[in-house]
Amino acid sequence: MRWVKTAYNWLELRLQLEAPIKEAALHPVPRRTASWWYVFGSAAFTLLLLQIVTGILLAIVYAPTAGEAWNSLNVLNHQLELGWFLRAMHGWGSSFMVAVVIVHMMQVFLFGAYKFPRELTWILGVFLLLMTLAMAFTGQVLRFDQDAYWGLGIGASITSRIPIVGGPMVHMLLGGPIIAGATLSRFFALHVFVIPGAMLLFVALHVWMVLKLGVNEWPMPGRIVRRSTYLAEYNKMTHEDGVPFVPVAFWKDAVFSGAILAAVAVCAVVFGPFGPGGQPDPTIIQAVPRPDFFFLWIYAALAYLPPSMETPFILIAPIIGISVLLALPFYASEGEKSWHRRPVAVLMLTTIAVSWGVLTHLASFTPWSPHMDAWSGDPVPVRYLQHATPLVRQGAVVFQEKQCRNCHALDGSGGQRGPALDAVATRMTTDQLIRQVLQGGGNMPAYGKNLSPAEVNALVSFLETLHPANQQPAADASRREVESAQSSLGSAPAK
Amino acid sequence: MRLRNVLPAVGAFAALLIAGCNHMPGAPRAQELARPEDQLDFTALYKTNCQGCHGVNGKNGAAYDLSNPEFQALIDDENLKMIVTLGMPGCRMPAFSRQAGAMLTDEQIDALVKGMRQAWLKPAAFGNDKPPAYDDDQKGDTAHGQLLYGSHCASCHKDSPQQQVTSPDYLALMSDQALRTIIIAGRPDLGQPDWRNDKPGQPLSGQDVTDIVAYLGSLRNPASNAAAPAAPVR
Ligand code: HEC
Ligand code: HEC
Ligand code: HEC
Repeated sequence: MRWVKTAYNWLELRLQLEAPIKEAALHPVPRRTASWWYVFGSAAFTLLLLQIVTGILLAIVYAPTAGEAWNSLNVLNHQLELGWFLRAMHGWGSSFMVAVVIVHMMQVFLFGAYKFPRELTWILGVFLLLMTLAMAFTGQVLRFDQDAYWGLGIGASITSRIPIVGGPMVHMLLGGPIIAGATLSRFFALHVFVIPGAMLLFVALHVWMVLKLGVNEWPMPGRIVRRSTYLAEYNKMTHEDGVPFVPVAFWKDAVFSGAILAAVAVCAVVFGPFGPGGQPDPTIIQAVPRPDFFFLWIYAALAYLPPSMETPFILIAPIIGISVLLALPFYASEGEKSWHRRPVAVLMLTTIAVSWGVLTHLASFTPWSPHMDAWSGDPVPVRYLQHATPLVRQGAVVFQEKQCRNCHALDGSGGQRGPALDAVATRMTTDQLIRQVLQGGGNMPAYGKNLSPAEVNALVSFLETLHPANQQPAADASRREVESAQSSLGSAPAK
Repeated sequence: MRLRNVLPAVGAFAALLIAGCNHMPGAPRAQELARPEDQLDFTALYKTNCQGCHGVNGKNGAAYDLSNPEFQALIDDENLKMIVTLGMPGCRMPAFSRQAGAMLTDEQIDALVKGMRQAWLKPAAFGNDKPPAYDDDQKGDTAHGQLLYGSHCASCHKDSPQQQVTSPDYLALMSDQALRTIIIAGRPDLGQPDWRNDKPGQPLSGQDVTDIVAYLGSLRNPASNAAAPAAPVR
């Protein structure tokens, strides 16, 4: 073992790393900070390392060309031993990383850790969040399957709505007017060189500041942050009642990071890799494109917004969101850290978390756009046909054939763009139904020119039957009189 | 926990992973990546293309009861294939073939035809009786048809609004062939009898059916169907 020591000494004499590393490892942290609440940052770092390692391994097989990308993922999935597991680790690692980074950020916000003197740490953190999301998005594009293709198409159409610069920006992103080989090369470069490079730099600075400025102390109600006194107070606290970072705080970080890695592995084993879904081919219109889960909420928000609001929402909401995050440490760099004394902050966090959860839930359980094959796939519920007249039954056929189902659900299946029609007869009279079908309105197209009078009659007589058994359909008096006059004239045979 | 205890556990996990890696729940299965036009499984094709109108398992749908064994025995492969390929003029039965601008390939349509036969065709669906032909391009006798309607159909199709098959709008949406099929093979899922049982003991002849269809056709409101070409969907 002599030679190990000799070699070590030889290196140490030249590198001189022992002192700074020892200092970093043994630097005192406030005793209560060595807590399970402070493990998310290091877990995010561990996941970044996992992504780098698995990413490099994937890059060995992956071919970033439009013709080969999809095939090379299938080779990984089906032909290379454990290739699928590698893809699954990288895919789930990315999901976990997004989640852990967000949780880390919420914890930092809740604990007031962005306050003086850690403003810059927070700002770098905001950029790291954006880069993590950008990595997730560009990674999804590299899959170059149907989801990627359509996700990118939607992303491009969002970008193109920016006034003036929108068009050129799309051109730059896609490397041309359409999604093609050049697009993939660009996203490959972004995903493998540009963003990771920037990210490593930012992470290094972020960690450096955490070490230099010290870990945030446990917030106590009444302990106010002031620029003039904070540094001295913190110094005193850590030296009088501090513990060395290694091992007192470190073992918790290590255990949690290990647990996260294990969770990634379990998800990878149980749920497998993401895609690749169908081949990316714009001629396949039966696709039901679906973004990865952390982008789902955007789709739900868009699906529920009236179309006139979409562009402003897409363009302005992210700018406001990011500006608020960046401005936060300047706006509130002093004052209380404890959540007991910051009700507005707690309320805001809860609201955001709940609305994010709800939107994500909606997006994953309801088709956010027209449900493209409802017309031929979902049958009309049998109970609506059982005691129907022949005309009503034909109305149901027209309803299916004209693809009303793409936007309207019956018995819970069908699109969500328009209201479910299970009880529409209780809300609308015959005349209103006819007008709605012929003239459309709201977000509904007008069908007037595309339906024959017989089709309209059949369709409306079908819609008229859509009411719960115990509830009468809506009716208006004048209509009833016209009808009784008609039938006494005997205009329709056998009626 | 000692390292000595943990290491074997980790090793075992890794060994398990490598040994069973293709049997793990997450390991991707082959073939789930078929392009839509490579789908040749009858059940899947039926579900995505036909079930919406013809109902789950070919019955209780808004359109015709395809699982009716008498229907399957009545129609030959050629007609069946032609209807799926080109649709049914005068009805809202869409064309499904690529040549008509829709999505299904010839192989997929063959798979559908074969699948319907396998699932729903029963041997000796008609017993010893010989049904009228599936199609007939003779012109029918409207007056005779009306008489037959009175004797064979009106017993059921008179009072109940459920059974008003003489509504001009309904008839405008049904082609002669669709009516003919219903009269000959019946619609067991609705309770419509076949050609033998409208009036037991007096089965309808091919000509009778043609006449009844001609009578029903004369009630059809031609103006009300003017704007509705049987255009392929999509
Ligand atoms: C592109 C999506 C879309 C399609 C396709 C569509 N609708 Fe609508 N429909 C809507 C929307 C959106 C509304 C709500 C309109 C509003 O806000 O006034 C609606 C409203 C209705 C209503 C009124 C419901 C109520 O409770 O107010 C009826 C009835 C209706 N649609 C019938 C149909 C029929 C019949 C068809 C097929 C011929 C059809 N729709 C096709 C989107 C659609
Ligand atoms: C948009 C609704 C719709 C869809 C989807 C649809 N059909 Fe039809 N189909 C009809 C209608 C309407 C008729 C006319 C007969 C009737 O309703 O009695 C019909 C008639 C038929 C007939 C002839 C019955 C006869 O009267 O001789 C066959 C066979 C048939 N369909 C097969 C299919 C197959 C196979 C599919 C799937 C590939 C399919 N249909 C999808 C609406 C539909
Ligand atoms: C034993 C009684 C009975 C007799 C006889 C009968 N039908 Fe029917 N028919 C029914 C029933 C029941 C239905 C289903 C009614 C419903 O729910 O619309 C039906 C349905 C129909 C339908 C299809 C309606 C649809 O929704 O597509 C047609 C067409 C039809 N009958 C024509 C005839 C003709 C033509 C005759 C005479 C040759 C006839 N029926 C004789 C009982 C009968």
